[in-house]
Amino acid sequence: MLLNTHELSIKATHELLSKRLISSEELTRDYLERIQRIDPQIQSYVTISEEVALEQAREADHRFKTGEGLTPLTGIPYSAKDSISTRGVNTTCSSKILENYKPFYDSTAIQKLKSVGAILLGKTNMDEFGMGSSTENSGFFTTRNPWNFEHVPGGSSGGSAAAVAAGLAPFALGEDTGGSVRMPASFCGVTGLKTTYGCVSRYGLIPLVSSFDTIGPMARSVYDVALVLEAIAGHDPKDSTSRVESIPNYSESLRQAKNLRGLRIGIPKEYFVEGLDSDVDSALREAIKQIEGLGAEVVEVSLPHTQYAIPVYYLILFAEASSNLAKYDGVRFGLSERNGDSLLDVYLKTREAGFGAEIKRRIMLGTFALSAGYYDAYYLKAQKVRTLIRQDFEKALEACDALITPVAPTTAFRIGEKITNPLDMYLSDVFVVAVNLAGIPALSVPCGISNGLPIGMQIMGPHLSEEMLLRIGHLYQTQTDWHTKHPLCWNN
Amino acid sequence: MSKKEEIQVDEKLVKEIASLARLDLTKEETETFVSQFQDILKYFGILNELDTENVPPAYLSSANKSVMREDQIEESVPTQEFLANTPQSKDDYVVIPRVHIEQ
Repeated sequence: MLLNTHELSIKATHELLSKRLISSEELTRDYLERIQRIDPQIQSYVTISEEVALEQAREADHRFKTGEGLTPLTGIPYSAKDSISTRGVNTTCSSKILENYKPFYDSTAIQKLKSVGAILLGKTNMDEFGMGSSTENSGFFTTRNPWNFEHVPGGSSGGSAAAVAAGLAPFALGEDTGGSVRMPASFCGVTGLKTTYGCVSRYGLIPLVSSFDTIGPMARSVYDVALVLEAIAGHDPKDSTSRVESIPNYSESLRQAKNLRGLRIGIPKEYFVEGLDSDVDSALREAIKQIEGLGAEVVEVSLPHTQYAIPVYYLILFAEASSNLAKYDGVRFGLSERNGDSLLDVYLKTREAGFGAEIKRRIMLGTFALSAGYYDAYYLKAQKVRTLIRQDFEKALEACDALITPVAPTTAFRIGEKITNPLDMYLSDVFVVAVNLAGIPALSVPCGISNGLPIGMQIMGPHLSEEMLLRIGHLYQTQTDWHTKHPLCWNN
Repeated sequence: MSKKEEIQVDEKLVKEIASLARLDLTKEETETFVSQFQDILKYFGILNELDTENVPPAYLSSANKSVMREDQIEESVPTQEFLANTPQSKDDYVVIPRVHIEQ
């Protein structure tokens, strides 16, 4: 068959599978072959789960044969960020401390994709435990941006974004703690959704910051993202912060969507300031005009505490992460250095050998922020300012239905450019972290290209407003073709 | 908030924190962290511009109702499966080096 299967949308692939013009096994083999051929240059995958994938593909083909248990994702391959537990398949968080860890259970998101017959191709690279904005902090290797191999793919879900952008998976699961889905989606020119905290179960997601972490889909269009969200969202008794009672039919709502009349979109002035790249600025202004052209009313709003989001986010992250990472001690699972005399030696030597520099830095800063004498001045102060930032969003979203901003102040930076200066790297997250402090959802949509690198637009809304965000993004994509542009390696 | 503005990061503080965090830092790491922490904490000092005297801390990302449920007996993971990831085990137990009391 003269057909490049990796170029097809999920919807088009589903039609081929349904008409049985292609089998899921053929499709899966196409992707596995493409990964073998192209991924050595990009390095988006940490683990390729070929055996599991082919077994799941044959099971999906059986469903098509019998016509039972078919959904839009049946037989469709995908990749998952390596912090999402997969039964029997290595789940490393791109950390040496978990290099050989094989979970004995599936996370709920993976279990749900299994139940609809989707195919796990493998696990994708990330900054170690999600700590970073470039995948340069991976304990294994740095993923390349498919648009320009000298540049980072963004982070921390950089492998997931790069795999989707290079045609190495039709969709991917990412995880967003402080921009980790949106930022790499923007840098790699794909569509990514940071879901409302509580919308997708965190059960089986290895935690970084328990009060920020969310699982979200990344794909090549808003429509494909909606299909994935339908499959993974929903209440889960195994996650005490799960809060969705019923899941809307997101893709049906997109099929019905005609225009944006009646919606008021706020443009926070604090996001269009000095330091914003001029190409990013003009791409955003053009995109906002398109949104206006679809019938939305556009108004300027203010999020006055924006400049405090970075210190608040990082202080809470340091504290919660240092506590979450205390369990990696070489006793029950993961790396264990046993060449000392005492139990304390096991702890110290295992953590010294297993954690990368950024992890140690953050554990240290978190331990400091939580320690006696400093707790009130740092951790408590940050939690109080978090309230102010949340109130900013509540006020802005009372006056407007959604907010539009850039995802990042620049396009993807060069590999090595920020790695020696941690503070500089932290500042690249300036437009994405506030969303996690507020717990609201946000969609990242490609809206331009500058010097061969993609630009992303961020659309934010109130809690559980995914349906509206997807509608805005989808209608934007019916008017523009940025999401259909691909890097050169796409054609290989 | 004067305490925060006065904070001076030195080797002694970094070593104390490392000991609390169970991290055995090299000399180079300790030195790097001293200067990096000073910069990072200085930048974070901008939070002191805000008066938060009457602002409540935000501990939960969203208002949740209680999620407690009745106790239920469920099948648990077979011990051997659980121990498959354990560095060292014997007879269904996790093995660690002997714990002795240091003087």
